[in-house]
Amino acid sequence: MTTEKLALTTTSPARKPRSGGGGDNALAAELTRLLGPRKVLSSLAERLSYRFDAIQFGVTPLAVVLPESTEDVIATVKAARRAGVSIVGRGAASGLSGGAAPMQPGVVVSFTRMSKLEIFPERREAVAQPGVITLAVTDAARPHGLIYPPDPASLRTSTIGGNLGENAGGPLCFKYGVTGDYVTALDFVDAEGELHTLTRDAYDLAGLLIGSEGTLGLITSATLRLTPPPKFTRTLMAHFAEVGQAAEAVSAAIAAGAVPGKLEFMDQACTNAVEDYLHLGLPRDAGAVLLVDTDGDDLDTVEEERALVEAACLEAGGVVRRAEGEAEAAALWQARRSVSPALGRIRPQRMNEDIVVPRSVLPEVVRQIRALGDASGLKLVQFGHIGDGNLHPNILFDPRTESTEAVHTLAHEIALVAIRHGGVLSGEHGIGTMKRDFMRDAVDPETMTALWNVKRALDPSGALNPGKILPEEPHA
Amino acid sequence: MNNDIPVQALGPQGEVMAHAVDACVHCGFCLPACPTYALLGDEMDSPRGRIVLMKEVLEGGLDLLDAAPHLDRCLGCQACVTACPSGVPYGELITSFRGWSEPQRRRSPLDRAKRYAILKALPAPRLFSVAARVGQYAKPLAPALPAALRGPLDLLPEHVPAMQPSPPLTPARGQRRGRVAFLTGCAQQALAPNFNAATLRVLARNGIEVVVPEGQGCCGAAALHTGARDEALRLVRANLDAFNPDDYDAILSNAAGCGAGLKEYPVILHGLHDEARAKAFAAKVQDISEYLAGLAREGGLEPFMPASRPLKVAYHDACHLAHAQGVRAAPRELLRMIPGVSIVEIPEGDLCCGSAGTYNLEQPELAGQLGARKAGHILSTTPDLIASGNIGCHTQIQSHVRRQGSPVPVMHTVEVLDRAYRGEL
Repeated sequence: MTTEKLALTTTSPARKPRSGGGGDNALAAELTRLLGPRKVLSSLAERLSYRFDAIQFGVTPLAVVLPESTEDVIATVKAARRAGVSIVGRGAASGLSGGAAPMQPGVVVSFTRMSKLEIFPERREAVAQPGVITLAVTDAARPHGLIYPPDPASLRTSTIGGNLGENAGGPLCFKYGVTGDYVTALDFVDAEGELHTLTRDAYDLAGLLIGSEGTLGLITSATLRLTPPPKFTRTLMAHFAEVGQAAEAVSAAIAAGAVPGKLEFMDQACTNAVEDYLHLGLPRDAGAVLLVDTDGDDLDTVEEERALVEAACLEAGGVVRRAEGEAEAAALWQARRSVSPALGRIRPQRMNEDIVVPRSVLPEVVRQIRALGDASGLKLVQFGHIGDGNLHPNILFDPRTESTEAVHTLAHEIALVAIRHGGVLSGEHGIGTMKRDFMRDAVDPETMTALWNVKRALDPSGALNPGKILPEEPHA
Repeated sequence: MNNDIPVQALGPQGEVMAHAVDACVHCGFCLPACPTYALLGDEMDSPRGRIVLMKEVLEGGLDLLDAAPHLDRCLGCQACVTACPSGVPYGELITSFRGWSEPQRRRSPLDRAKRYAILKALPAPRLFSVAARVGQYAKPLAPALPAALRGPLDLLPEHVPAMQPSPPLTPARGQRRGRVAFLTGCAQQALAPNFNAATLRVLARNGIEVVVPEGQGCCGAAALHTGARDEALRLVRANLDAFNPDDYDAILSNAAGCGAGLKEYPVILHGLHDEARAKAFAAKVQDISEYLAGLAREGGLEPFMPASRPLKVAYHDACHLAHAQGVRAAPRELLRMIPGVSIVEIPEGDLCCGSAGTYNLEQPELAGQLGARKAGHILSTTPDLIASGNIGCHTQIQSHVRRQGSPVPVMHTVEVLDRAYRGEL
């Protein structure tokens, strides 16, 4: 595996004037003719702005389309197909696996203007276009006594379309499930430019599109399930000398019967990065911090569950603090949501893992990963939705002074730890380009063939978000 | 983010810019905080997009003229700095970039003339005052004038007050608790002389001696933020000569934009021979509200007369106070000390009002949209009074609130305090 394949560095050549589009941009001209100038971006400055997500820089697109309707998406896909170029869907580009970064010169379809949202309180549903900001769904539903539970850390920025593409989760997914669990129907435009409506009856084709990272079709509308929020929530923070103790507390609490609404952890480096940003008085010396919400409609049960978690934390050697009031709880959760970007304070670049392992092996897995990090000489940090066994080991590095090959080797070793313990490569961020190389370790050849057959059935020419998820077949 | 910015070739400001680009992890957390992203919804008019564009230009892969329209639309409000978990010093980046790129810009003669007029008039209160008076008489002609001239006229108040120069020394009343230097500001002296008068009265009443050092001038922020770096350096050095930080407990400003400008001196002079002086100077700079809140904590303030009726005050956070200087609590604490006053929070309070220094002169359309949005949000709280700590916001908000038909008074925070002392609230 080469470092180029890993694509951790900016692919743009420096100090060399790039093509302004000139001859290539017959495509942009055609799209402008079809959709009008308002919806098509073709200047170099505009196109350069649509070649990255929150982890990776890709190739400069030939044109960017900002559709305002499903018809615009259909026209775009058909035009791109005629021109024989690739199509990459994009929400807010806050994804963490390279999913929205184009790997070939083609069209980027940025859904930010398709942001229509309707709430149907009587049937507890929302119908959202892909450009709706995730938090906007709950904001619109709350006056009706409802919320939309999937809550990725980027919920103020990210879009429903992106959440569907990555099957995003968040702290609440331990008890309430991920994006896919809240979708009852969706519309998508296929690689031919045809529109389809999928429900979850018969074959669960909606389930196939969810988490497909834009490689099987472009979602243009989704019907989302809303639920009443729990009446009571109690928050607890515990800190531990060592990261394995935090994992032991989690395993013990869940084994004792607690089902917290949220159960998150962050290690020392994460806590300190966040503390530098928010100055909340988090315990800087602790090896790991656990953040826990217990919630429900019966206060006694909620308090009882908090007591169970508290006891498990104390038993594992932790120090426990109960959040007094909503403001303190909100500050603690803002701290957790800020972990990922705050890590930029430590090193300019990172390799972000998204493994999921059975909860029973958590203490062993986090300790093994910690040991691998210590042995590598690289800066490794861990945080994540530990209640789900969903861990985000991050390797932080500076490509000018540290070897990207060493980063890749460590990332691969971590992926293998997960696989050895019966885990998987991605919980919520997708495979994208970042974990594509590890797919062969995680998926047996027969299953891989089946995945490729699905891809070919829906996208025979390979135009939809090429270079993502599936590694090239050896004989392809 | 990775970059190949040729730092050596760009000098000390190159270091500042490359450091900021390095720190950005392009996560997108800044997008919802950005006013132009809220209006335009495209990546190149967001902070993350602008950082990428600046990086490309500095690396030589993108022509400055292609990036310029998007960079020019940035208000410099720094709401993105507050929102950024990675600690990207975006304000330092865009300011340095504008200084670096301005000499390479080709601008139309009208554009150049307008910028020249702004940069000459703003730092010269007397000239500004004369211009404002002329403008006041020209207001009825506005509909017949080109857009470039209409914008500034729209912003002028109906009545331009007489200049009230601040005395060189205002003695403390009663026992002296401290001695401060005061920057009188530029446009503010012409448009709202009462801000300074109120500031001097409130400080004196609390035992503070106020010196208005001779030789002080414009803080330089307007020049700096429009890219006129040489002009800014001249103004900055004049102020470093005028204010000797050792002589005062604090150097005060009552205009958020100027205060932020003064605190930026070490960045402007980074790598130059006056850097140490600039640091000593900036360490003493405080906004009037910060300083008064400090006095309140150490020994208290003279008690305020209660308001004549319960007053609901909508406090507007000036971007250069809240985002650039991180001052949010102090003005609210001070206003709450007045018996009968309660504070209401404004929806979307973190979003810029669109004034942003010279922005409403250079980007009148976007500034107008933001002004209308802000005025609508403020009026939705049905306030009895609107308070803010910056002359730019004051003018913009007053103009848009009036346009929406509301007579609610708009005041500087310190004016509200002053009125409370005089029993006129």
